[in-house]
Amino acid sequence: MVSSQVIRGCIEQLRAITRIEFCVQDTAGNMVAQTEGAETPDRNMVTGFALSAVDSQIVGSSYYLKVMDDEELAFILIAQGNYEYTFMIAKVAVGELENLIVAYKEKFDRNNFFQNLLLDNLLLVDIHNRSKKLHIANSVRRAIMIFEIEAESEPIAAEMLSGLFTVQNGDYLTEVDENSVILVKSLEEQESYDVLEEVAKTAVDMLNMEAMVKVRSAYGTIVGELKDLSRSYKEAKMAMDVGRIFYAGKRVISYNELGIGRLIYQLPPSLCRMFIREIFGSDEPVEFDHEILSTIDNFFENNLNVSETARQLFVHRNTLVYRIEKLQKSTGLDIRTFEDAMTLKIALMVSAYMRELDRR
Amino acid sequence: MASLSLENVCKVYPNGYQAVQNFNMEIADKEFIIFVGPSGCGKSTTLRMIAGLEDISSGTFKIDGKVMNDVEPKDRDIAMVFQNYALYPHMTVYDNMAFGLKLRKVPKDEIDKAVKDAARILDLTHLLDRKPKALSGGQRQRVAMGRAIVRSPKVFLMDEPLSNLDAKLRVQMRTEIAKLHQRLGTTIIYVTHDQTEAMTLGTRIVVMKDGIVQQIDSPQNLYDKPNNLFVAGFMGSPQMNFIDATARVAGGKAYLDVEGQSIELPADKAKAIIDGNYNGKQVTFGIRPENIIEVKGNKEAPYAFESTVNVYELLGAEVFLYFDLGSANITARVEPTTKVRPGDTVKYTFDTKKIHIFDKETEKTIAN
Repeated sequence: MVSSQVIRGCIEQLRAITRIEFCVQDTAGNMVAQTEGAETPDRNMVTGFALSAVDSQIVGSSYYLKVMDDEELAFILIAQGNYEYTFMIAKVAVGELENLIVAYKEKFDRNNFFQNLLLDNLLLVDIHNRSKKLHIANSVRRAIMIFEIEAESEPIAAEMLSGLFTVQNGDYLTEVDENSVILVKSLEEQESYDVLEEVAKTAVDMLNMEAMVKVRSAYGTIVGELKDLSRSYKEAKMAMDVGRIFYAGKRVISYNELGIGRLIYQLPPSLCRMFIREIFGSDEPVEFDHEILSTIDNFFENNLNVSETARQLFVHRNTLVYRIEKLQKSTGLDIRTFEDAMTLKIALMVSAYMRELDRR
Repeated sequence: MASLSLENVCKVYPNGYQAVQNFNMEIADKEFIIFVGPSGCGKSTTLRMIAGLEDISSGTFKIDGKVMNDVEPKDRDIAMVFQNYALYPHMTVYDNMAFGLKLRKVPKDEIDKAVKDAARILDLTHLLDRKPKALSGGQRQRVAMGRAIVRSPKVFLMDEPLSNLDAKLRVQMRTEIAKLHQRLGTTIIYVTHDQTEAMTLGTRIVVMKDGIVQQIDSPQNLYDKPNNLFVAGFMGSPQMNFIDATARVAGGKAYLDVEGQSIELPADKAKAIIDGNYNGKQVTFGIRPENIIEVKGNKEAPYAFESTVNVYELLGAEVFLYFDLGSANITARVEPTTKVRPGDTVKYTFDTKKIHIFDKETEKTIAN
């Protein structure tokens, strides 16, 4: 429904142009919005007018008019001003308000449509009928992008995103929970994942700079029809979860680039626990100190090159070899060989996943 | 007015990866600090910890003596300009700059003053009514900066703000940022991987690698007195030449033996070799391209090397010659009047006062 703030903005603009003061009240005579110089009308007069069959009424220098919403009375508009054009302007104001009601209703309907679409709550036939009614093209390339905003209920972030992504460009913003904003991003024929990556990075940087909030973004694959958007949404959600566990340093995560993390995420926890026990026994990676974890990480990043890793860690080669052998003693894995390095890499990722499951 | 203090600041991600290790630094008010280093070195992570966009794993960060570790980003009185910026396409320049303040319910007259002041500083006054599509790349970047300036923060944080611009515009905007620092008189921390930007803008530069601070110093000192081989190689373009050599001490003097020739070291460098017991040991000897001297005609020199020039590059005011000395690829910066061309043999010597010597194993500086 159209908010009182929007109604106030509308009547203030009219007052600035015409010098006529306005009040807008609901059918029970409660004040919804009024311009700065407007006098508050008598409540009984307003409710009496609301119940009457007439469309308009003149009381002293005030004009009472009805604002309709699809043949139902929505508001009473009172225009106050001793000008010959007061009634005419009041009619214009009624027209404006009725248009606003229609626009906001449509906006709400769109929001509702996209929310249900993403959550798989619509039948195929409903998607077809409702999208047609709401003038939403069906066969357009789109992808879902989620922005997870850390600061609790930060309205500035959502408003900034709505400034960047507009319905006119075919984009749509909605929310299905408190901490995230969902962007339905439409794409041109030649645009691909590099564009999505750029859009996500730009939006994250913008929210960091302007709203000063911690944000992470994830996006799903590009789909060609409305009915497939829920898949893109599920992928984006998974990318967000998998990214949080395995790629904590990344602020933008693409479903297409989750790699082995996605595979691990989909494994049953019992299987993961069994695997961890097989590899580490009782000495789980959480027991490893930062030094050994950092050594392993660097060693993998340098493609198992001892000299380069030692150089980067500013340690003597022998120190690094000693650390690797110490790890071998506790795990039985010699990470200088590809097989064992791969096993440890997967085991560490599975272990990170288990920790996340325990945390939840 | 803002002074910043970072004490043993570390960032460790949940998977154990240590992105920043024991970052220690005091930043005085109005300083222009540059964080520089290759990608993945932890410079942006440090900046984001200062902004509050990343949690600090351990250590303390203070602004004006007040601990900021748990203070929300919006309450730190800082403003940020990042690499990716977007302007609201349907808003004018004025509205783009005012939008953030409007959302924060700042009174209209205060917004108006802040926007007009920022526009004057950034020379955008005549563009305030334009929409973003009618602006050039540089003008858009200035609007993005304007959005940070209108907040009148104590500290500006900039993360590679110029990296999306073309080369010409980058140079132009670099100058603009330097001017901006003078006009605003606030503390700026600027992240870049471009060492030219670092050298030209910073009052002090922090060189980082693998999450570890390598050196904090003035641009000149970093160039002249690098702490280690990494800093020596990272600062300067073309980069410093590195040549394997053997240190030798004889008769109270020290020499570097390179490709069958002996280079006698000046007294201060000789002392470092002798005191550090480097006699007979392998060291890395570094020389900047401009400290390689072409020996013309039959001029005498205590030692001289001869190499065949592989590549000749004329840059107008200077010429770069590329040749090999043993297994090392050498770049020399010489006068544009040189007659040497690819295939010619060039005779050259080194300015021994400008030689840098590094420990081969630890890569730390022995003498500058």
